[in-house]
Amino acid sequence: MSRIVVRDLTKVYGDLEVLSPLSLDIAEGSFVSIIGPSGCGKTTLMRIVAGLEPATSGMVELSGGTPAEARRQKRVAVVPQQPGLLPWRTVEANARLLLDVHTAANPSDAADPTELLREVGLGDFLHAHPHELSGGMQQRVALVRALSLHAPLIVMDEPFAALDEITRAEMRLLLARLVEGRGATVLFITHSISEAVALSDRVLVSSSRPGRIVADITVDLPRPRPADVEDDPGFVALCAQVRHALHGGRS
Amino acid sequence: MNKRFLAPVVGIATFLLLWELLVRVLDVKPFILRAPSRIVRHLVENAGTFASAAWITAIHAVGGLLIALAVALVVGSLMAASEFVEHATGPVLTLLQVTPFVAYIASVVLWLGSDNPPVLFITGLVCMPAFAFATVDGMRGADPAARELLASVDASRWEVLWRLRLPSALPSLFTAARYNVGLALIAAYLVEGGNFANAGLGAIGRRAAALNEGDTLWAAIFAMALLGTVLLMAISLLQRVVLHWHVSQRSSRA
Repeated sequence: MSRIVVRDLTKVYGDLEVLSPLSLDIAEGSFVSIIGPSGCGKTTLMRIVAGLEPATSGMVELSGGTPAEARRQKRVAVVPQQPGLLPWRTVEANARLLLDVHTAANPSDAADPTELLREVGLGDFLHAHPHELSGGMQQRVALVRALSLHAPLIVMDEPFAALDEITRAEMRLLLARLVEGRGATVLFITHSISEAVALSDRVLVSSSRPGRIVADITVDLPRPRPADVEDDPGFVALCAQVRHALHGGRS
Repeated sequence: MNKRFLAPVVGIATFLLLWELLVRVLDVKPFILRAPSRIVRHLVENAGTFASAAWITAIHAVGGLLIALAVALVVGSLMAASEFVEHATGPVLTLLQVTPFVAYIASVVLWLGSDNPPVLFITGLVCMPAFAFATVDGMRGADPAARELLASVDASRWEVLWRLRLPSALPSLFTAARYNVGLALIAAYLVEGGNFANAGLGAIGRRAAALNEGDTLWAAIFAMALLGTVLLMAISLLQRVVLHWHVSQRSSRA
């Protein structure tokens, strides 16, 4: 598990201020979504937390260490927006990709990717190639690839953005099932209010660029959340609250 | 599947038939243009000689291609890794591509002596730029999401090269290989002819041209065409096996 502490983080590209001083404190093992308009710096924030990009100023700590240290120790698992599967590798080999590189830092308790693939319903496709899979199946492989690392922090950048509504709902349930009880801290970036509320313990609403957190909404719906959680009046009220914050109190 | 094989056969047969008819109907003199039937007859009558010469030319062409590929993978990897290296190397490779290598065959022969070394050197040299450019393009085109993913677990440069960039370059390398086969055969033929060695189709062709032996010269040209076709088919076959995952191979099967 990993606690994320962000203090006065800024990011500037040339004249473009992407993140204005931004502070966060995310508890170990919690599922936190960040929702905000396009271009508000969500992806930049995620890349800084994952150690893929330096901040202009400010500080990020992952369980007391820097993101770069966490990256070197393979303690951050990334699920990108595009699955990023290698077309020449089979499903099984793709799921193992992150364990196949920089092997010295592999955790002793790494999950067996093949087992996980079976768990997500891809047992019959272990030797298939990515082009033989649907978009949802490809994203499931990407999920397994990240979860196999058994990293204490998982960052996901709109992983279901390219999927249709039905597949998206299935993926949401699958993700909840896979992540709940694993104890990992999850930072989830999304454009979907219902997805954020259904999955998260906390929803952080970001303003448009330069991004800063304008609302911090606690989702106290009990877990595990059923498939029909969207019919729950509490869920509907929380969605309205997020929508209201997202539109700056104009909705 | 049958149509795939039938169509080229029909195309080539029609071409040869029209050629034959042209020569016969217009009664073209043999020193201007020979009928294909006459060339094929000469080729068959001297099949042993041409086969062993073709084998030597094939080794020169394939050897040159492999040397070019090996050098290009190193040069291309360095170019893909550094813009400075790319900008410094690119113009030199372009110069190599546009300079008529025929002009410096004699110098290379004087430098490296006769027999295999000058043939392999020039064949490798002229085929290298296309492979190097293909390596750079393919490596640069590697999926950004996959690159980011490998960076997220601190994969080494070598791991990124081996696991991602090299396989990403395979499709463009095969395209370059198809283009380079013709170039390699022409280079091998011309250097064999110009290096005072008595082996290879190029040597036969050069000697025949000097002695005005039209049948032999044309038979050498036909043998070169046949050799080129065989090499291209071999590359296509290899491409189907190695790139079975690539969209180019999938659409050709659909």
